[in-house]
Formats: sequence, C-alpha cells, structure tokens
Amino acid sequence: MSETKTHRKRDIFTEGPIDPAFIAESIAKHSTRHDIGAHEIFLGQVRADQVVMSSEVETRQPTVQAIEYTAYQDMANEQMIAIREEAFARWPITCLHVHHSQGIIKAGELCFFVFASSAHRQTAREAVAFVTDEVKKRLPIFGKEILEDSTHVWKRNL
Amino acid sequence: MDVLLFGLIAEKAGTDRLSISATDTQTLKHVLEGRIEGLASLSYALAVNRKITRGNVVLSGNEEIALLPPFAGG
Repeated sequence: MSETKTHRKRDIFTEGPIDPAFIAESIAKHSTRHDIGAHEIFLGQVRADQVVMSSEVETRQPTVQAIEYTAYQDMANEQMIAIREEAFARWPITCLHVHHSQGIIKAGELCFFVFASSAHRQTAREAVAFVTDEVKKRLPIFGKEILEDSTHVWKRNL
Repeated sequence: MDVLLFGLIAEKAGTDRLSISATDTQTLKHVLEGRIEGLASLSYALAVNRKITRGNVVLSGNEEIALLPPFAGG
C-alpha cells in the first residue's frame, strides 16, 4: 500500500530550506505502520566552506553564506523515479521519501532529506546510503555558492 | 528547437533558453559552442528528452534539449 503511495510521489522539490518540523511530522506519520521497525534518515545541511579565490593580485578565502539551488526539475524527478525503483528492487524497504530544496538556503539550513523505513535497520541504512549517493550523482541540480563578499562560485559534486 | 540552459551555462549565455536548428547533437554542440562564450572549455552534458546522451544522436527537431553543467545536489 505504502509502496504504491511513495511511487506516486513525483516532485521532490520544495522552495526554501527544509523545516526540521517537517522532518518530525514525516516521522510521526509512520506511527500507524506497525510493520516498520527502523527509520534511517540522511540530512544535508549547507556548510560555510571557505573558498580559495586566487587572482594575480591576491588570494582571498571568502566564506559561503548560502547556496542558491536550481534544477532541471522534470529530468530530476524522472531520475528520482528510476533511483526509487532501483532502491525498492534491491531492498525490502517499506517506504522512501526524498526532498530537495530550491532557492536560497543559508549556511546551517537543511537542503536535502532522505528518509527510508523498513522492518530492520540494515535495510533502511543501505537504502538511504544508496539513494543519497545516487541523487548527488544523477539528479541535474545546480548550486551557486554565494560568498560573503557577494561574489559567487558554482558548486560541483565530486 | 529550444535548448534549455542551466546553472553556470545559463549565466554565461545570459539566458536560460536559446532557439537553435540542428539535425544532430554534434552539430548542435558546435553551434552552441559558437554562441556561448567559454562553453567549449567547460565540462557539460547534453540531455535529449531528459536523458543524457553520449556520442552523436540524430534530432528530429521535436526533442527537449538541455545543457547541463556539473551537478551539485545534496
């Protein structure tokens, strides 16, 4: 039942940061599912990295204030459906929820939420690790790191 | 056909959409690299109908094309 429900979810994007209260509500919604014995969560938070900027004149190390996320949303949501199907095929998870921010997310705010539930912990753990890595690799999401001096650099996943 | 531009590439082009005619992706890339300064030296992927393509692909003109700079999700 829940599997069909999660498969129907088509849009992972949310405008602005992910509210910790939303995460708490998401967990609470599963209290009626008595076949679940484990929840595993990954949360991505915007980090205030120091970016090294070298020119002929000087080297500066401004700090990241925020990341402005944009995405090719139609393709990202299609890729997410494929990743979700791969995860359900590999692990007996009860449900899987993924949310990613769009727009300006300040350092310290949450931008990425992956949540899997299953009967036992190992299954949910492995599924969340897989989904988190695949989202970073395969979803066309772009991040503009806004620096303290109002300049910016484009983030890229390694 | 419309070509959707994202992130760094949209910034360099000064727009998020260009209209280009091309019969295959190799020609399309060549035209785009002439239109967008610095594109040729960037790392980017070309998506046709929301799927990343490799090699040369024939285009009918009805495809949804997108230029994708490196991903940064998460």
